Amino acid sequence: MQRSLNNSETLSGIIQKPQFSPYTDNGGTVIAVGGKGFVIIGCDSRLSSGYTINTRFQPKLFKLTPQTVLGSAGCWCDVLTFVRLIEARLKMYSYEHNKTMSTPATAQLVSIMLYYKRFFPYYVSNLVAGLDEEGNGVVYSYDPVGHCEQSTYCATGSSSAFIQPLLDNYVGKKNIANAEKGKLLTQEEALRVVNDAFVSATERNMYCGDSIILNIITEKGIEERVIPLRKD
Amino acid sequence: MSIMNYNGGVVIAMKGKDCVAIATDTRLGVRSLTLTTDFPKVFQMGPTLFLGLPGLATDTMTVYQRLRFRLNMYELRENKRVRPQVFTSMVSNLLYERRFGPYFVEPVVAGLDKDGTPYIASMDLIGSYQEPEDICVAGTCSEQAYGMAEALWEKDMDADKLFEAISQSLMNACDRDAISGQGAIVHIVEKNKITTKTLKMRMD
Amino acid sequence: MKYHTQSPASTGTSVIGITFNDGVLIASDDLVSYGTLARYRNIPRVLKVNEQTVVGCGGDFADFQHLSKIIEQKQIDEEANNDGFTLTPKALHSWITRVLYNRRSKFDPFWNTWVVGGLQDGKPFLGYVDMLGTAFVDRAVATGYGEMIAKPLLWEAVEKKESITEEEAKDLIAKCMSLLFCRDSRAFPKYRIAKVTKDGSVIEGPFEVNVDWSIAAHVQGYE
Repeated sequence: MQRSLNNSETLSGIIQKPQFSPYTDNGGTVIAVGGKGFVIIGCDSRLSSGYTINTRFQPKLFKLTPQTVLGSAGCWCDVLTFVRLIEARLKMYSYEHNKTMSTPATAQLVSIMLYYKRFFPYYVSNLVAGLDEEGNGVVYSYDPVGHCEQSTYCATGSSSAFIQPLLDNYVGKKNIANAEKGKLLTQEEALRVVNDAFVSATERNMYCGDSIILNIITEKGIEERVIPLRKD
Repeated sequence: MSIMNYNGGVVIAMKGKDCVAIATDTRLGVRSLTLTTDFPKVFQMGPTLFLGLPGLATDTMTVYQRLRFRLNMYELRENKRVRPQVFTSMVSNLLYERRFGPYFVEPVVAGLDKDGTPYIASMDLIGSYQEPEDICVAGTCSEQAYGMAEALWEKDMDADKLFEAISQSLMNACDRDAISGQGAIVHIVEKNKITTKTLKMRMD
Repeated sequence: MKYHTQSPASTGTSVIGITFNDGVLIASDDLVSYGTLARYRNIPRVLKVNEQTVVGCGGDFADFQHLSKIIEQKQIDEEANNDGFTLTPKALHSWITRVLYNRRSKFDPFWNTWVVGGLQDGKPFLGYVDMLGTAFVDRAVATGYGEMIAKPLLWEAVEKKESITEEEAKDLIAKCMSLLFCRDSRAFPKYRIAKVTKDGSVIEGPFEVNVDWSIAAHVQGYE
């Protein structure tokens, strides 16, 4: 029987059904800056979907070992799952070897665990910050499928485009004539640049705001700080 | 990919104390292919008035030529120089005439008023404009440029400080964009003085 | 062909929840809609799990019933163990998150949004989970239209003061439910409140949204 289709009908189905997508973008930004004997990793605390703010205080930093912190942003349900799995793997390692995993080994584990889901990836931007064998700050950045790069500073997540050039300039001393290239920042300088970066990203990015959560990792342990940001 | 990202490029404008600055990169490309490194997107429209037109290069040229014509007609008819505010309206009007088949440019206007008051404005491709107190950014690396400019800009900078802020903003933003950069030109507009500088920067 | 990704059929609208000084409240109306049709008008969508845990659910009602049965059985098993452990709100919140995440990963989601509340080690707990497994904890949560209409009021209340009383929380819920009834076309004027305090959990209601038509007589053109 021939029948004409009205506006709400399509040829593929009588009524257009809402398409299910397993992914969503919940925003979030993570920055890490390393130096001699310390590394700072910070995240914003806003969790959002579309134009709504789900919560104003959702930490996105996860302490993996006493000297390694993972920062994770993107599809929040994937973040939750990924973090639980990696925490389980680290626990298994510590029981088997009777020591906590080193930062470079943790960084490699993150990469492997992301690539394991290569064809149905965790939609997540990760940053691992920790201390290396000499006790100096290192940062590892990832793409969602596990490509890994080591550096001393990095920004990922929804405001990465706003912040990364700033870090290049301040921390990497790019485009500065006669600058001492490769000279690392002091802890105070690093704290200031991370704070400034979040403040400027919050001005222009809807998905960044509410507060900064900082983890300062040194030989002595991990110090946590919370700094308020704009809430609009 | 959007037509706005076909040729690449960026323009930034900043207000200072009794001065304004406007800066552009000089790349022209077709997507990832660089064709020339001599294509500034900023044009002088009066003794203390500049216009930046990042976006689709063909429209950059067309819009510039049509505005130049309208500006000449205005100056002949009125027998006076155009004020920056009036010029912004002129650009906005021209764009809105093509409301349903727009020119793919995001203009930035920067200049000094007759009494030397700094003025900057930016608009979208159909002429909706804003006149901010601090910075204007448009182009393919606008996110990067906003991040830089928002951090470096301060109130009441003198011409030297303003030049440093706008140059660092532009260069570091361009270095994180594959289709902007390959040289840059900065204009600093002060009362009775225009300084134009070419920046030496990464060319890869 | 097996149809994995269904769309919701019989649905419930917003659920809202708020913590107060010594407990939590979760409220949802009594309506289950079938598309735009107000199909079942006397169905509570809040569930008492035990004396310290309650849940509320929006979205597909069949999925809610299915999971309710499993949750109720979990509670029975937990009681039968008689080991002094009970299903806490934090544990249930985590469990629902895992169940919903696993189903979304199979491209066969439970089309629900859940609010889990109760007392966790004597402190108020309020959590949210959506169909993807997106989960978080806050002092006030809302789902669906409630997130846009009710949440600003709930947040304002919990941010203004360190803690609010049960009375204040109940007044706020009443205000939010009437506001939702005014603006959400799938909302209903009859609602229930699940309450958890140290005295245990209880589902109160049904309450009626205060609909005052007396003013209508003064509106020109109403007759």
